[in-house]
Amino acid sequence: MPNPTSLPQRITPDFVARNRDGLIALAKTQKPLRLDASNLQVLDGLGLAFLAGLERECQSAGNEIVLLSLAEPLQKRLRQSPVPVDTPETPRTEKLPEKVGEAGYAFLDELKDLLLLSSEALYWSTWGLFRRKTILPGDFVKQMIRLGSSALPIVLLLSLLIGFTLAVQSGNQLQQYGASIFLADGLGIGMVTEIGPVLTAVIVAGRSGSAVTAEIATMNVQEEIAALRTMAVNPFQYIMLPRFWSLSICLPLLTALAAAAGVFSGMLVGYFVFHLSMRSFLSELGQAVLVEYVFQMIVKSLTFGWIIALVAVNKGMRVSGGADAVGRATTECVVTCIFSIIVADAIFSFLFYF
Amino acid sequence: MTDSSALKPRLVVKGLVAGYGDVIVLKDIDLTIAEREIRIILGGSGCGKSTLMKNIIGIEQPRGGTIELLDQPIDWSQGRPGLEVFRKVGVLFQGGAMISSLTVAENVALPLDLHHPELPKTVVKDMVAMKLEQVGLGEAYHRMPDALSGGMRKRAALARTLILDPDLLFCDEPSAGLDPITSRGLDDLLLELRDALGISLMVVTHELDSIRALCDKMLFLSGGKVIFDGSLEDAEESGPEEVRDFLSRKAFSDSRKSARLTIKTEAK
Repeated sequence: MPNPTSLPQRITPDFVARNRDGLIALAKTQKPLRLDASNLQVLDGLGLAFLAGLERECQSAGNEIVLLSLAEPLQKRLRQSPVPVDTPETPRTEKLPEKVGEAGYAFLDELKDLLLLSSEALYWSTWGLFRRKTILPGDFVKQMIRLGSSALPIVLLLSLLIGFTLAVQSGNQLQQYGASIFLADGLGIGMVTEIGPVLTAVIVAGRSGSAVTAEIATMNVQEEIAALRTMAVNPFQYIMLPRFWSLSICLPLLTALAAAAGVFSGMLVGYFVFHLSMRSFLSELGQAVLVEYVFQMIVKSLTFGWIIALVAVNKGMRVSGGADAVGRATTECVVTCIFSIIVADAIFSFLFYF
Repeated sequence: MTDSSALKPRLVVKGLVAGYGDVIVLKDIDLTIAEREIRIILGGSGCGKSTLMKNIIGIEQPRGGTIELLDQPIDWSQGRPGLEVFRKVGVLFQGGAMISSLTVAENVALPLDLHHPELPKTVVKDMVAMKLEQVGLGEAYHRMPDALSGGMRKRAALARTLILDPDLLFCDEPSAGLDPITSRGLDDLLLELRDALGISLMVVTHELDSIRALCDKMLFLSGGKVIFDGSLEDAEESGPEEVRDFLSRKAFSDSRKSARLTIKTEAK
């Protein structure tokens, strides 16, 4: 180890890590602290910060540093360099009531935005349907393909698998009572009124809702939304309406296909595992699934579509900040969508059965 | 001005060809930056200045030619080149590229925290405070990047770029969007760094004041080719017309004009 009072050619991270504590200790005994700077050739940011920190330590110990034979240009650099100012962070400590109040206000604020968005969607989808709107021609179809039809493969695959699982599980139980034929009733009603709408909505919220939020949030962060406003384009119309309409149309259609796929795989299980003829399965299905249930499916899936569209657009619109805010908004969107879908489903069950 | 031929080269680009997809943006570019040299890259929008920088710093893979950065060739034959050489290279991006989930101070300290974990925390804090003070952002220490203006973000990014004391610094339009005084302060800072630490700089800029303050040598790109390589004085005296027009703030030279409407007009 070199003599600690002699500085090297260039103050390196390694030198600082090894000698700093020793020099600070020395500053308490040796007055003044004399450092031989004759070898020093370069004073970079680290060197300056090291010397500045050492000086502060010395001053607090009532001491001072003397640099011996420091080269002329380095002296100039030393004089020009700023003293590091300690800017202590002033952490805002929030008490529990404050936190609760803030969260409450944030929730109310978001609810207000959501209601405004809903009213906007309602107006432009009914009274304002034929008034001039600032939306791009063709955007509606593009969004239907992006948010709706491209979700079809995954929705169908999962519905087939769920239908299969349910059929195998419930068929086994029913078979013990010789009531395998009721597989058609259970699966038909279950897929049409519950699993179809909820499963589809959850999948679409996860893949399309998050995409909508991420897209709008990024637009927001990059000031594209502000740019739209300056072009006298209503960003709500431009962004929300195509997405709102396309989800309103696509989600019921996707749900119907999902329910059909689930029932179909259940019918195959019935035929191959429980020896139910397809004809009897279908006639039982026709008796069990009333038009009322199909109506329930449409109402539910339409509502879920609106929830996804409104929540996703709202979360995206409210973003401010950078990349991390986009990520947070996307997560919040999916969580809020799935939560609201399940709550809405519970409310519907209550409404339809009592 | 220093005699650059005696100093060792920090960046050597030979016969660089670069492009995106089917489009070739740069053809046969030669560029050498010596120690302590400030090299200004000039050219109209879309002439490939940023592409040149991206190819040199290993973000884009060149189509041809060789690049030697701080005496090490950038080798793409084994895939993306290693990051070790870039420790001694600083890059200031146009928008600042601050990491939005960290405060300004955390952003500036980031390279130190990752590359020199052995440094005591107080030293890191002092370095960050001094660097921020140098770029005039002492009071922004605990703020988040998205709470800063564009110019402030750029200066904070410069502080982050400088924290590892690079040997070679690339700046993509450092003074764009800054007020003239801050901009001059930034130029002075770059000059001081060059003089004190002997770093080399490659600066892409359009600001004529910056060019006059900084330029040792310039490289003028047009249509994907180098049309001038030399000092500012030479460019003003004997450079090609396009370069002289650019430096004398003349609007588009005739060679770049598209066809104009030629409808006849007559008095009644």
